[in-house]
Amino acid sequence: MGLPISTILLTTGFLLMLIGIWGILRHRNLLRIIIGFGLLDTGIHIVMVATGYIAGGTAPIIDKALGIDEATTRAVDPIPSALVVTAIVIGFSVTAVMLAYAIRIHDAHKTLSIDVLTESKW
Amino acid sequence: MRTVFSILAVAMFAVIFAGIVGDYGERESVSELARQYLTLVPGDLGAANVVTGILITYRGFDTLGEVAVLFMVAASVGLLLSGGEGETHTADADKPRRPSELVENGTVVILPLIFLFGGYVIMNGHLSAGGGFQGGAVVASGTMLLMLALPATRLNHGFLSVTESLAGVVYVSIGILGLVFAAGFLDSHILPLGDFGTLISAGAIPVISALLGIKVGAELSVIIDRFRS
Amino acid sequence: MVEALLQPLNIFLLGLGGGFLIPLLYRIGKPLPAIAFVVALGGMAVIAAVNFSNLLNGQPTIEVLTAGVTPPLSINLRFGLWEGFFVVSVSIAAILGAWQLWPRLRDSYGALLLYLILIMGINGMVMTRDLFNLFVFLEIVSIATYGLLSLDRTPAALAASFKYIMATVLASSFFLLGSALLYHATGTLNIDQLIAQRDAISGPIATTALLLVLACLIIELKPFPANGWGLDVYETAPCGIAALVSVAVSAGVFFALFKLLPLFENQLWLIAISGGATFLFSNLVGLKQTNAQRMLGYSSIAQMGLLTLALALLSKQGATASLPLVVGGLFVNHLFAKAGLFWLAGAVGQRDIDGWSAISGRPTGLLVFAMLLVAIAGLPPFPGFWAKWELVMQLSGAELYIWISVVLVGSLFEAAYMFGWFKQATRALPGQAAAVLGFSQMLPPIACAVLLCIAGVIAARLSEAAALWLFAPLLTGGVLYALDWLPGRVKCLLMMLSVLGVGAWLIGEVQGINRLFALLLLSGGLVVASAALYRTDARPGYFPLMAVMLLSIAALTRSSTNLQFFFCWELITLSSYFMIAQGQNARPHALPFLLFSLVSAFCLLAGFALADAANGTPLLQAFRTGGADASAAFVLLAIGFLIKAGAIGFHVWLPGAYAEADDDLSAMLSSVVSKVAIFGLFVVTYLAIRSEAGLELAHLMAWTGMLTTVAGAAMAFRQDDVKRLLAYSSMSQLGYIITAIALMSHLGWVTALYLVANHLMVKGILFLAVAGIIWRCGTRRLDELGGLGRLMPVTFVTVAIALVSMSGLPPLAGFGGKWLLLSAMADKGWYGLIAMGVLATFIGLLYMFRLGHTLFFGAARKAAIGEAPAQLLLPQLVLVAAIFVLSFFPKLLMDPVSAAIDPYFASTLVWEGMSLETIYGYWNPVPVMTATAIAAGALFLVSWTVYRIGGGRAAVHGIAQFYAYYTARTRPLAIPVATKFWDGVAAAVVASGAAVRRVYTGNGQSYAMYILYYVVALYLAAA
Repeated sequence: MGLPISTILLTTGFLLMLIGIWGILRHRNLLRIIIGFGLLDTGIHIVMVATGYIAGGTAPIIDKALGIDEATTRAVDPIPSALVVTAIVIGFSVTAVMLAYAIRIHDAHKTLSIDVLTESKW
Repeated sequence: MRTVFSILAVAMFAVIFAGIVGDYGERESVSELARQYLTLVPGDLGAANVVTGILITYRGFDTLGEVAVLFMVAASVGLLLSGGEGETHTADADKPRRPSELVENGTVVILPLIFLFGGYVIMNGHLSAGGGFQGGAVVASGTMLLMLALPATRLNHGFLSVTESLAGVVYVSIGILGLVFAAGFLDSHILPLGDFGTLISAGAIPVISALLGIKVGAELSVIIDRFRS
Repeated sequence: MVEALLQPLNIFLLGLGGGFLIPLLYRIGKPLPAIAFVVALGGMAVIAAVNFSNLLNGQPTIEVLTAGVTPPLSINLRFGLWEGFFVVSVSIAAILGAWQLWPRLRDSYGALLLYLILIMGINGMVMTRDLFNLFVFLEIVSIATYGLLSLDRTPAALAASFKYIMATVLASSFFLLGSALLYHATGTLNIDQLIAQRDAISGPIATTALLLVLACLIIELKPFPANGWGLDVYETAPCGIAALVSVAVSAGVFFALFKLLPLFENQLWLIAISGGATFLFSNLVGLKQTNAQRMLGYSSIAQMGLLTLALALLSKQGATASLPLVVGGLFVNHLFAKAGLFWLAGAVGQRDIDGWSAISGRPTGLLVFAMLLVAIAGLPPFPGFWAKWELVMQLSGAELYIWISVVLVGSLFEAAYMFGWFKQATRALPGQAAAVLGFSQMLPPIACAVLLCIAGVIAARLSEAAALWLFAPLLTGGVLYALDWLPGRVKCLLMMLSVLGVGAWLIGEVQGINRLFALLLLSGGLVVASAALYRTDARPGYFPLMAVMLLSIAALTRSSTNLQFFFCWELITLSSYFMIAQGQNARPHALPFLLFSLVSAFCLLAGFALADAANGTPLLQAFRTGGADASAAFVLLAIGFLIKAGAIGFHVWLPGAYAEADDDLSAMLSSVVSKVAIFGLFVVTYLAIRSEAGLELAHLMAWTGMLTTVAGAAMAFRQDDVKRLLAYSSMSQLGYIITAIALMSHLGWVTALYLVANHLMVKGILFLAVAGIIWRCGTRRLDELGGLGRLMPVTFVTVAIALVSMSGLPPLAGFGGKWLLLSAMADKGWYGLIAMGVLATFIGLLYMFRLGHTLFFGAARKAAIGEAPAQLLLPQLVLVAAIFVLSFFPKLLMDPVSAAIDPYFASTLVWEGMSLETIYGYWNPVPVMTATAIAAGALFLVSWTVYRIGGGRAAVHGIAQFYAYYTARTRPLAIPVATKFWDGVAAAVVASGAAVRRVYTGNGQSYAMYILYYVVALYLAAA
């Protein structure tokens, strides 16, 4: 028996988050920074889903595979899954807004480098 | 210098996260709250998909907020990308590159299927994996393909925006109906529960699902279209 | 039915339903979205207001359930008093903000719906009781903000918005992760359940999760130094949007922290430190700022830091009863003052504060501006004042002295840059076009000012300090301001009448030494104030302020608690500041005056806080009865009053303010207002008697007073500017009084009061006489004046009498004062001080002689048109008459003085019970006069000889030569050490601000890095 599934998922999620943070901090291009945020979000979503997993659990949908009686014992926790749907939508929304800003910034500055966005400081 | 600081930052977060992973023990059973949901959603709401039941009824207030977020994004992107000085790209738009033949022809075959699938996912949200958001996203991906294949397509923004608005207003109205005819705002008991596991069941959940699907599909399509211009 | 319509839940139905409807209505008819917007926003506000007022009337907290099941299964919301307060405040700000932004909102239905949903989202953040739902509302608010920020498309605004998005998305990511992990650890997302199971939240995962949630909220509040992204947005966004971010969005986030605070009980210190550092450093960095909106940004961030600090520390101390006043007061204060300032900035339309001179000719604009600044600075009568007072009292009670200094130092920085901005606005530049302040643009800031006044009264009631008499000065000032369109002289008469009437009512029941001060200062004030009749111009705002000042002095003597005292004290400071600022060339000197006054006030605040703890009661009376050793309180209070009295070292504000104020105002400042500090010393000095150390401190104070006298005289001696000469002379004379008070004996205090009366009359005469001379000759330089004796005989006589009385020559009142002082010091055995006193008297003689000689003898250098106007002469003659009464019937004053002072010392052993008759027994004899005259003559002879031997190589060239010699000789003594010192301090502070602000590089990635490091730092500090 190797690692538990949720641990693998958690590690993956956190790794994605770290990669996202690295992208946010190191890449100059706005689009890549936005991708960094996307990775960060995705990482969090994976972590969220992972925390809902219970050993040997299945999807919380009552059908042939999961009878109504065994739902409470065999199904994974449905709450993180519900939350993650909302989180995904919000993550998407933020990405969309950032992209829209990136387009406008490109129009205004003729570049996508974050280094030029320093008009206001101090 | 910055690189060192960045590495350090990432490293420190790695340590924090490692602490979480190290302490994590896979759960053997769900929480008390989840147990209640797993009993109540099929029993009280009559929905087979517990996640959908939670999303649309118990945490319906969240979902309404989430819809508002999407709605605002459509408006924000519209505000940002419409009008103004950004009309300099028309030179490129005059002679769009033709998409490859594969995409053009594939679209003709796949597009109806995508829309059909989207509709299916939306309508079966209370029974199987899926729901309004997921289905709406599928529909929007179809729109995206359409735009890739036929760049000349113009979406009717007026129609889409009226659609999404209407869906939103009806959603809120259904919520209010819950307040009047059932136990509270967004209570899905305003319609009969029907037979468990059939398409027409689980009270108002499928209706809300459908509205969500319409709304999300319309909004995502609008957003995608905005970016095209 | 109506009840159902007014449910708090309907706020969300209106917000979302209205938002969803707007695009639909837009397709139907263009004006419809705007109508729907107004209906929805107004409806939300009405619902909030009605429910809040129901709660205030005792109805229970409203729990809002959704989905027809109980929490934790479903999401619930709460509308209690706190929620109602925040929601109502935000709704009012939202309506005013919508009004301000209307030109931009009207045309864009997208902006309308974003605005509507934004406000709904903030209300949601306030009301929700579900952690994840809080996240959703946080995102609603964020995304609406992102959208609204795009209303301005300048490259800088776009860049700033992107940085803002990066930062807030990072922060909310932590919230999302944290709340998911918290659910994993506790099995619930319901905030009430989480709080109930607070103890169960342990272990690495749960702790980390909690910290992540906390980190998000703190980051969203823009903590120093991880807040550059917020500043950039404040600087570049349209004013209306910046206002919204500053007050409304921050309100939502702050309330989220507020409601989750029970979860963070182990991190309260951390939260307080974060808030304190933000408050201190934001204000420090703000000092260097010249962009109005960015300056407001620094102030906004600082204010949120202060709120956070107050919340955390009060919760830590369990002082939850103070939360409504402190947190509520600071919040409302920030909300309306800051939003009002942003909106005003929008109306004025000047990005850089240099351009704000455009409103110098706009009385309404200036008034609103001044009121909002006063509110931000935490000065009365606005809620911030009452809140800060209570906060400092609580901190003092908990012995959190470092925190008191953080609050006070930060407040001082904030006042410095805010009033520096005001300085620019009062400076009329020739050729600059005046700003056009349209009514619709001015309405929101005006509404804010009005709301702040109302909130101030409510806060005063919460402080249990609301009383008609306390607010009478302000009310009178308000009524007079409403009549400010009348001609100048009519206003002056009205002012005097109202001061007389209201003042008499105010001091009607004042007893003892307070009554003496009240009568003396009020009557003296009225006499000096009547001199204003010599000017015919309108002097907008001057007379209402004068009324406020004089009546505040009267109210000060009536104060029975230290809060009332401090309130009146601050009103006196503020009204005199605004009057000084009206002087033609006073602008550079008004700000130092205000800042030193504020330092003084903050010392008093801290001192009162300590004394409160030592006395065990806020009553001023407790200062006189015995109590615990309160040396620290005494030092702070004494420093506070000494600064205000212009004691040596702190005197640098004095000459400029006295000299550059309007000529008749100078008379008022020197004769009447300066005595307020003396009154303060009288009230609190008794603390010194409580311990040996305290008495040593009193000795120190005596030396301070005497050094002030000597230094003031030396500097007066070197002046060529008449008003500056008199200003330094004033400082010198106050030194005597300080010394007299420091004697801590019956005799000393009688002397002090005697000197107070004498100086009041003398300086009143001298400054008014000089006002007349300036009026006639158009200059105040000694080397341009001369030979006025013949042209202005009455002035000559009054000045001569005043000089004699001041110099301490017999037979006038000054002699009695000096004599009393010397004998009181001899009584104590303070011989060093006596020697200093004689020296000071001698230098005093020199400069006074020079003054009289130069003005009235010698060749006429500038032809005066004639005698000074009767309006100036009359008060001088009244004061001359008073001097004669005081000189020849000293008992008239001495009897009541002695009687008033007796109870203070009767119970102590400081004074051996010498009766009044004995004092006069010493005073009367001729030998004393002779001895004094001989001593003075001898000193003069010595100096004359030195002059003849040292510099007088040539024959006697007259008096001017004599002075020139001594002026040169005393130069090394008169290096402006204090001025250099304070200039150095100011420069160092500003330089450190300039150094600190280097962290704001403007680079979005650096800002993201700061945030990440901030989170890590929080994690490490908590772990």
